[in-house]
Amino acid sequence: MGGERRRTVGVTSFADAAERHLDDVYGYLAWFTGDRFAAEDLAAETFERALRLWHRYDPARGSARTWLCQVARTVALDHFRSERRRLRREQLAAVHERLDVPLAEGLSPELESAVLSLTAGEREVIALRIVLELDAGTAARVLGISATNCTTRLNRALKKLEEALVVAA
Amino acid sequence: MSRPDLLSALRESRPAPPPELRERVRLIGSAASAPSRSRVTRRRAVIVVVPVVAALAAAVVLTQGSEKQPTPTPRASVGAVEKAPTLAPALGAEAVPAPAGNRAQRYSATLELRERSDAALSDATKRATEIASSLAGYPLRLDVHTIESPGSADLVFRIPRVHVEDAVRRFTALGTIVSEDVSIEDVQAQVNATSNLIARLQRQLGTLRVEEQTPTVQRQITALTARVQRLQRGRAATLSATHFATVELRLTTESPAPAPVRHAHGPLHGLGIAFHWLWIGAVYALALGAPVAAALVAVWLAARRLRRRREDALLSRS
Repeated sequence: MGGERRRTVGVTSFADAAERHLDDVYGYLAWFTGDRFAAEDLAAETFERALRLWHRYDPARGSARTWLCQVARTVALDHFRSERRRLRREQLAAVHERLDVPLAEGLSPELESAVLSLTAGEREVIALRIVLELDAGTAARVLGISATNCTTRLNRALKKLEEALVVAA
Repeated sequence: MSRPDLLSALRESRPAPPPELRERVRLIGSAASAPSRSRVTRRRAVIVVVPVVAALAAAVVLTQGSEKQPTPTPRASVGAVEKAPTLAPALGAEAVPAPAGNRAQRYSATLELRERSDAALSDATKRATEIASSLAGYPLRLDVHTIESPGSADLVFRIPRVHVEDAVRRFTALGTIVSEDVSIEDVQAQVNATSNLIARLQRQLGTLRVEEQTPTVQRQITALTARVQRLQRGRAATLSATHFATVELRLTTESPAPAPVRHAHGPLHGLGIAFHWLWIGAVYALALGAPVAAALVAVWLAARRLRRRREDALLSRS
């Protein structure tokens, strides 16, 4: 009986969590991949996987947003790996096809260009710390690194972004 | 662009998911309302139940094995039999070999009995003497010591061989049998040989007596006669000895050796044994498993480091 109640609560919570944190997950994936179309597919895949793994989610160990971002990161890494294999097969490793769709509304062309010049790892840490406004500890948990390392990565990424903006200007 | 302006621009640039994606995720969320698969699958149940059942079975087997008391081994040799006083007469009589009635045999038996007290020892001594007398026997030696502790009595009886079985049976009823020794020596062949020798000598005597009685012949007759008489006395003594059996009775009040202490096992005794073996198993597992666990941890750390390097390499491109 208790297990039934817990499962019902869990199901309700997942629906709520999916609706509440869709923007965060999508924004994170869009920044991470630099591709809004890919981010759409990955976001959907993230929530499908999250639904399967929802019983593992423990609220005591972190918020639903953090957990969903961790799932999203795993999905994105799988995506990157499959993309790399696909590009190797097609011998197009140096060319990443990207449709001409802006990464986000409100970004100036110079800033978007600078953002896209960053590596995926750099975009990822900016997405987590700046766009999603996660604190250092939470972002580090998503990345699987220490908070100090996370802050260091963020500073490097921002510095590189500023330099790219200067060059673009 | 200053750092604060840059951060502000980045924060305001959060991409919004398209309506199609919202609908898709909403459908995924609504699919969660369907009953999800139970977390307790058959496989998980088997993984949990099988070790538990095996552990319980092992505990039961170990418990039964440890509670099994060693079966008392009957002291089968004639020289060592111990039994309850009430059972002693019948068992004692069966244990004593019967003398052969038609052969000359030296029969001796030694019984060691334990009495409860000095008073019982005195009473047993009197009753043993009465038994011997009632069977036409007689005491050869009686040594009774009840002043010192433990008290003891050494009784030696001569009992007619035909009654020795009855005597032993009745003696064994006087106390708890500690040991029993029976010795039978067949002297029939020796008696027969002596008789044959006597007969031959008597034939020689008969021959000498019909001869002319010279001094030499008379000396031979005297010597042979003396020798025949010695042989006849010896044979008579041997046969006389075989008519009576010697029964030695040793009575003692020495307290028996303390019986092995049987611990009263409580209902959780088996559980204690199970934990004992579990503890031994845990020590073995620790000793054998620690190096394996260390190796596994090292492998896991190396794999994690490798995975992070690959991740970094994967994310190092734009």
